[in-house]
Amino acid sequence: MKKFKYDINRYDPKKMMAVPAALFAVAAIIVVITFILTGMPVTPGIDFAGGTAVTLQTDDSKEEIEAYFAGYDLQSIEEGISGSYYLKFGPMSNEEMMEFNDYILAGYPDAGIDQIGANFGETLQSQAYLALLFAFLGMAVVVFIAFRKLLPALTVVFAGIADITITAAVMNLFGIELSLATTAALLMLIGYSVDSNILLTTKVLKRQGKLEEKMEGAFHTGFVMTSTTFCAILAMFFVSLIGNVPTLYSIAAVLLIGLICDLIFTWGFNAGMLRLYIGKTVPAGGRK
Amino acid sequence: MKRQPVQKREKKEHHGFAALIRDPYVILAGILVLGALLAIFAPVGDRDGITNLQFGLDLEGGSWIQLEFQADVVTVQTPVDISAVASSMAKTLDCTVIPIDLGKVEVDKKFSEAELKAAVEKAGAVFIGTETGVGKDTADSVKRILESKVNSLGTNDVKVNVLTGISGVAQYVRVELAGVDMQEAQEIVGKQGLFEIRIQTVGDETEHVLYGDSVISVQTPQMDPATGVWGVGFTLDDAGALAFQQGCIETGATRNPAAHNINMYLDAEEVYSAPLSYELAASISKHPVNALSASTGTGEEGKQKAQELEVHLRAGALPVEVEIAGSGSTSAALGDYFKIICIIAGIAALAAVALVVYFRYRVPQIVLPMVLTNVSEIVILLGIAVFIQQLDLAAIAALIAVLGTGIDQLVIITDEVMHEGKVPSKVIYTKRLKRALLIIMTSAATVIIAMFPLIIMDLSTLKGFAIINILGILIGVLITRPAYGRIVMEILSKK
Repeated sequence: MKKFKYDINRYDPKKMMAVPAALFAVAAIIVVITFILTGMPVTPGIDFAGGTAVTLQTDDSKEEIEAYFAGYDLQSIEEGISGSYYLKFGPMSNEEMMEFNDYILAGYPDAGIDQIGANFGETLQSQAYLALLFAFLGMAVVVFIAFRKLLPALTVVFAGIADITITAAVMNLFGIELSLATTAALLMLIGYSVDSNILLTTKVLKRQGKLEEKMEGAFHTGFVMTSTTFCAILAMFFVSLIGNVPTLYSIAAVLLIGLICDLIFTWGFNAGMLRLYIGKTVPAGGRK
Repeated sequence: MKRQPVQKREKKEHHGFAALIRDPYVILAGILVLGALLAIFAPVGDRDGITNLQFGLDLEGGSWIQLEFQADVVTVQTPVDISAVASSMAKTLDCTVIPIDLGKVEVDKKFSEAELKAAVEKAGAVFIGTETGVGKDTADSVKRILESKVNSLGTNDVKVNVLTGISGVAQYVRVELAGVDMQEAQEIVGKQGLFEIRIQTVGDETEHVLYGDSVISVQTPQMDPATGVWGVGFTLDDAGALAFQQGCIETGATRNPAAHNINMYLDAEEVYSAPLSYELAASISKHPVNALSASTGTGEEGKQKAQELEVHLRAGALPVEVEIAGSGSTSAALGDYFKIICIIAGIAALAAVALVVYFRYRVPQIVLPMVLTNVSEIVILLGIAVFIQQLDLAAIAALIAVLGTGIDQLVIITDEVMHEGKVPSKVIYTKRLKRALLIIMTSAATVIIAMFPLIIMDLSTLKGFAIINILGILIGVLITRPAYGRIVMEILSKK
């Protein structure tokens, strides 16, 4: 793969680490600001904040739809390519909701409706936090058992944290809301982000040979690896974006962002850290 | 494995395809693919499409309603008996309070924390905390009631799930009805039956005594510890108790209970029939009795009958108040549309993956087995999903993600064994394959652990996402990826 000019062994390890670290810092600030403004690290969608979402398949124009729902608290309307729409409404009481259901089905019998009460949203929120916490702890335990060396293991765990944080920040910038689906995608990134880090760290720490060659080999494999996943998910992203299936394209978008962060963190931060670590513990070349 | 020398000879004899079809991993993978195809496509039972796959509501069309229990489970610390605390609280709060274990009581109405705290302190106990929800027994009877309601409609594809938190308190119950729209779903869940008590007069003739509106409360089934007889206690309002007394006296049930059974009906169907006990007959002849109990016999059978009777006595009304916490519906047309998008997305993802590995390796002998291994992983996954997991949109997303990571790991294996483009000797090859599998195992373990909380927490749709993910990884790591390692070895050594 000579086309990719990134030479993992050429740059100063500290500089390699500086760029991802700076990204992480900026992302952390964005996430904290969002948290102060909305109470969640990423702007919550209806799953967590409560509200009503309606999916329509219709020949009607956007204006006609807006006119039909004029009497209701229509917050946003997204349009897909093949005449599909995704509408969002503010929270409603039980009675309002029942009446609203009748009204939608009268005009659009094939509509899909999802409604989450504010209380239920809060429960989902606290459970999602717990899930995230347990996932991180579990991941950290596996990583420590696998490497049994403090610094490399910490680096992998940190790469996971940074991956999620930066992805969350980018979600905020792109206006991707936190839903059950995107939470799942974030959890999955914990797994993905350690994937290439484990490859790199295992190859560098547990194999014989020159550090440069091991780095180069790991990068080669790792890059192809991440790009296959990336392409599979990119395909899902475009198909579901064109078809306007929010569950699918929001999961895909989050995974794509996360995979890019993962590349930056594995081959910048973790690679730089490993070079420093090996340089300090063992003189170049000789590892058991 | 048993007879080493024979195996060695065999290995020498067979190369290429012949050796491959003898490899245990390859055989296992092959059998699983065939089995999965059979599971997916074999025409058994009644099914909607050409496959046996189960689809979630967002792909099949249907509605879900999630109800939140308007009740509290209060944790207390008490020097006295917990049932004493419960009955004192019941008086203070004027509602039903039942002890559910040594330090917890269930209050069947929603109160503020301050009100509950005051009631607990008045009962002489220490207030520890409160949670919205109900205990296991009540949750179970809610489940039974909802199930009997939806089943009575003949809708075949119905799921009622109680969502229980880590603390063991059930806060929600979720009802999923395939092929039913939102209006209908709300009607079904809200529907109540007509409960009636009649007394046998002469022969098969019966006489009306009271309707379900006179039943003001129903208890969960209990066993009399002295006799081992199961029964359901219920309470009548004063008018109902009076009507019951008059009915018993007029028909002669108080004088000759055996000849005048007390019959209970739900929607005109008999659900219970038994005579008054002599004790009850004696006291009813003197004054109206509000608290009654219908016994159903001993053992497992008696218990089951009691549970059914409880459902009937409630006539579809739930033991605690509920509120709709969330609901959703997808029309069959929209579900079909989503299905098509999912299929296109899956094919596009597979094509994308095939292209990438083609550009990376450029040798069909590697690309083809890679893509085929990937496809077989998906097929096996779908085959298993037929039995354990319905596919919804989130699960499809997981499936496509598995497709991507699956190829990932095949890349690790290929690069590891094909170091510097040379095909190593068998010994080195096996060693390298093992190393590659170790990397894969470690990363698989992290993904599994990261997904695990989603399975336990039951965050509705995310459970499917997590299960498909974990399953996909397990199939890959345990079966198809090792098989791929052998296949590639044979192919490379042939060159």
